[in-house]
Amino acid sequence: MNFLKRIFLVDILKGMAVTFRYTYKSVYTEQYPKEKPKLAGRYKGAPRLNNDPETGETLCIACDLCAEICPENLIVVGSQRDPESRKKVLTHYTFDTSRCLFCGLCQEVCPTNAVELTQDFELATYSRKSMVWDRKRLEKGWDRIEFGKNYHK
Amino acid sequence: MTELLLIYAIIPLIKIGAIVLILSGAIAYLTLLERKLIAHIQVRLGPMRVGWHGLLQPIADGLKFILKEDIVPSKADSLIFTIAPMISLIPAFVVFAVVPFGPPEMFAGVLHTILSWFLEPSSVDTVIKSSIASGGFVTDINIAVLFVLSVSSVGILGVILGGWASNSKYPLLGALRSSAQMVSYEVALGFSIISVLLYAGSLSLVEIVQQQQTAGVWYIFYQPVAFFLFLVCGLAETNRLPFDLPEAETELVGGFHTEYSGFRFSLFFLAEYANMITVSAIGVTLFLGGWLPPFPNVAWLDFLGILPSVVWFLVKVFLILYLFIWIRGTLPRFRFDQLMSYGWKVLLPMALGHLIVYAAIKAMWETL
Repeated sequence: MNFLKRIFLVDILKGMAVTFRYTYKSVYTEQYPKEKPKLAGRYKGAPRLNNDPETGETLCIACDLCAEICPENLIVVGSQRDPESRKKVLTHYTFDTSRCLFCGLCQEVCPTNAVELTQDFELATYSRKSMVWDRKRLEKGWDRIEFGKNYHK
Repeated sequence: MTELLLIYAIIPLIKIGAIVLILSGAIAYLTLLERKLIAHIQVRLGPMRVGWHGLLQPIADGLKFILKEDIVPSKADSLIFTIAPMISLIPAFVVFAVVPFGPPEMFAGVLHTILSWFLEPSSVDTVIKSSIASGGFVTDINIAVLFVLSVSSVGILGVILGGWASNSKYPLLGALRSSAQMVSYEVALGFSIISVLLYAGSLSLVEIVQQQQTAGVWYIFYQPVAFFLFLVCGLAETNRLPFDLPEAETELVGGFHTEYSGFRFSLFFLAEYANMITVSAIGVTLFLGGWLPPFPNVAWLDFLGILPSVVWFLVKVFLILYLFIWIRGTLPRFRFDQLMSYGWKVLLPMALGHLIVYAAIKAMWETL
């Protein structure tokens, strides 16, 4: 039996059948910079500081809860009391993405949904300094080099 | 005089030009086919960026090869180093002089319409009657099989010379391996071809195909074992994957073309793929009925004859090339001692035994 198996190359033919089946399977790889992969619905990526869509004012009330709960202590909230309305006003806000572990506690604890982790996962930069996101970048998003669009043309 | 000029110079030159052009294109796109197919076997996509699904990739590769710096190592034997890739490539093309793509009267109709515009009917007839002019091949020589075997063996000289002239240890080892491999597999290849010749009774490739037409079946149905032997030896001759020891990356860096780069490397590369096409074309001619449709004499299969004969030939060549690439995507590489013992202890006795058995059957058939 074993001899017959060797004579008729049964194992090789089996292997070829496997490769043939795989030839016409759908591929696993992605055309990454060209086509963004589909992310899971609860994927947490780059942070964002939301503005009120109607007034354009920031939603952040400088309550400092995100900075308190952050396990890495990477959020720094700067505030000043407005002498007239006696309200806390946000002056600056930094978010150090190099230390972030994307646990999402900040967006959960935020009472006004001001800080949010988006689905943007392309966080690589050219320097360590630029991994600390300031308020402007957190609000407007990041004008990064778009590899996907023109890089390969 | 015009007829002779047409028959022996102009028409063959046109055919040669066409074959060289088409073959170069075929080689280029064979590399793409290989990359795509291997990629899909490995559940990848392969080249996708240059052109639609990477269709222009071979052109981009060719341009890149041409634009690369032409390096000759300072310790290398520069003359032989330069000639070796050409020695490797040219025989691969020369073999196609005798490969029949279609029947001897393939271009008769086309030639008739074209030549009638400016020649008298009698001279048109003499041109058409000559198979050199109207056949689907460049020449039909009566020692075609020997020609193929001898010319394709010259190609290996390029590999050996290239490995030697590089003056470096890995190319030399690669060249040594390839020559050892060629010697051991050429014998079994020859024997597997001889058993076809026994049945065809001719060395002309055109005649062999015509014999298959009169026999009514392709020779693969008479001699499946010989076809298997031919395929295995063909893989070994072309240094394809289970037998690609001359250029085993893991052991020998790049094998015989380690020191080659740019255009010269691309010549070696082209030669390998040209040899693949050559082996497939010869295999198709000997075993798969060349330009014939399947079962050429069965009446109810006549509708297969609607497709032109060239299409049948190309389809079969494509299938064998597909098989070659498929095998490459499946099997791992042999070890060198396995390769040698497989060649001498399995393939050669098998080929010899096969030949003897078939010769005996043939002799008995004729005496009874």
